[in-house]
Amino acid sequence: MATSHAGGECVFEAITLKKEYDDGQVQALRGVDFRIDAGEFVALVGPSGSGKSTLLQMLGALDHPSGGSLLYRGAPLAERADLAAYRALEIGFIFQAFHLLPTFTAMENVQIPMFESPRGAAERKERARELLKSVGLEPRLHHFPSKLSGGERQRVAIARSLANGASVLLADEPTGNLDSENAGVILDLLERLHREQNLTLVLVTHDMGIAARATRRIEMRDGRIVSDRPTEPSLANP
Amino acid sequence: MTFLTFAIRGLMRRPVRTGLTIVGISIGIAAVVALVGISRGFETSWQNGMKTRGTDVVVSSMGSAITPKPFAAAEAERTRSLPHVAEICPLFVDFISVEKADMMIVSAREWGGFTWKNLKVVSGRLPSDAKEKAVVLGQTAAEVLQKKVGDTLQLETAELSVVGIVDGGAVVENGSVILSLSLFQEITGNEGKINIIDVRVTPGTTKEEMTQLCERITSLIPEARAVLAGENIRDSQAYRIIRAMSWGTSLLAVLVGVLGVMNTMLMTVFERTQEICVLLAVGWKRIRIVRMILWESALLGLLGGVGGVIIGIIGVKLLVTAPAIRGLLEPDLNPQLLARAVLISVVVGVFSGLYPAWRSSRLMPSQALHG
Repeated sequence: MATSHAGGECVFEAITLKKEYDDGQVQALRGVDFRIDAGEFVALVGPSGSGKSTLLQMLGALDHPSGGSLLYRGAPLAERADLAAYRALEIGFIFQAFHLLPTFTAMENVQIPMFESPRGAAERKERARELLKSVGLEPRLHHFPSKLSGGERQRVAIARSLANGASVLLADEPTGNLDSENAGVILDLLERLHREQNLTLVLVTHDMGIAARATRRIEMRDGRIVSDRPTEPSLANP
Repeated sequence: MTFLTFAIRGLMRRPVRTGLTIVGISIGIAAVVALVGISRGFETSWQNGMKTRGTDVVVSSMGSAITPKPFAAAEAERTRSLPHVAEICPLFVDFISVEKADMMIVSAREWGGFTWKNLKVVSGRLPSDAKEKAVVLGQTAAEVLQKKVGDTLQLETAELSVVGIVDGGAVVENGSVILSLSLFQEITGNEGKINIIDVRVTPGTTKEEMTQLCERITSLIPEARAVLAGENIRDSQAYRIIRAMSWGTSLLAVLVGVLGVMNTMLMTVFERTQEICVLLAVGWKRIRIVRMILWESALLGLLGGVGGVIIGIIGVKLLVTAPAIRGLLEPDLNPQLLARAVLISVVVGVFSGLYPAWRSSRLMPSQALHG
């Protein structure tokens, strides 16, 4: 059953969404239904192997569902001919391990997704500078990832995810490789972006403290959604 | 940052491996440059030699040997009175060991023939008559044999005087020991034999008329074949074998280059699987990934090609100064050959990158999440 929590425009709608591996021997998603509206901050929680990262991959069109359907703004995602353009322009993906290209500076890493946009070289450079400035990394523009701290790397990755003006951010354990101080900085940043730019934010985590900062929590277990409810206000705004 | 930056950074990730791959391609391309340049140079040298001798048509029997097969000197007389023939000069040209030199061109010419007239005497003089037991040396031949005017030269069993050093105007001429035909025939026991007739046509003879003259001479002298000067070397089976071998060896060298680049690019794709998946995850189209890999392999090819051309040129320059072949070769390293070598290398690079590029395009972006 699709559930609306924000009451805005529907961004994602999953209908009996399934994902199987190894010819059906592994069922990562066993038919999930949900709806995510524009401007929501959703935490996907659950233990390892519950299917939350697989679900995030489906939302990001990084993999194809085995069954059911997933709609993006009312249209089936699987039927889109330009999934690369969807990944480049509509969504931004943030990884637990940052996945910055090691031979490129912070500025250059942020410019990478912009090669799929019509921006010219000068415009790409200027936008990358602005984005890095917005995440507080102006003094680190020309540093290679190896010269940045974990928190700084994740901030570069967040800037990269916003390169083409995505309206949806998908974050897979974005603080999983960070100490608590840096994790706090990253969560604050994500919350600020969500609030200021009205971004739809879907965040995978197994940390209930982080999940509490979302406006809605979807809990998964064994490839199924076992609960889907708004986060209690006292927990959401500690 | 441009798209080329991705190719450059990709290659710089593993500088040693990239460097070794470039060296591998360079050696292959150097082999192409050297072998093809030398075989073409062989042809050019002969053509230039003919030109400086003033020869328009060459009558010879280019068999499987590097020099033409001998035939009766009397046959030359049949050509002398043909239409469009201004002059003829029977010769016996051979490659033989002369004193310290393992292989030297010995060019024996009918005394007084037109082929003597283009020799510029640098020191000494030309032989005074057909019977004088004397030779003149091309400038390079004199250097190789370390002879000067007044020295003696052992040719087969005969001891001959070096009476002059000449500038023949072409590498083949300058690398030759030149003497009168009758003297050479006597020394080598080839009395009444020649292996080349150089023919000079009358001024104003058209190419078509020269072709007709060639056909006429060929029908008159069944043991030999008349061709336009410069083309005779292409008739040589030995030259064809050398040319085929040079291309064959070059092909092998290029094949090694293909495997080298393909191996490097496959390793690159395997090592950078996650990086490629991240690029796909942030929205890069598969065709852009393919282009990135092909740019990298093309860049490897370009650098290998440029390196190969440089190594090839240096190698050939060193080779032609080697005592064993000094004066025999004028390598033809023309810009077209060098440009073609670089182009071959770039094509090799792109071709070698096709399979790795295809592999990279098959990756799923979801793999970016693993690890």
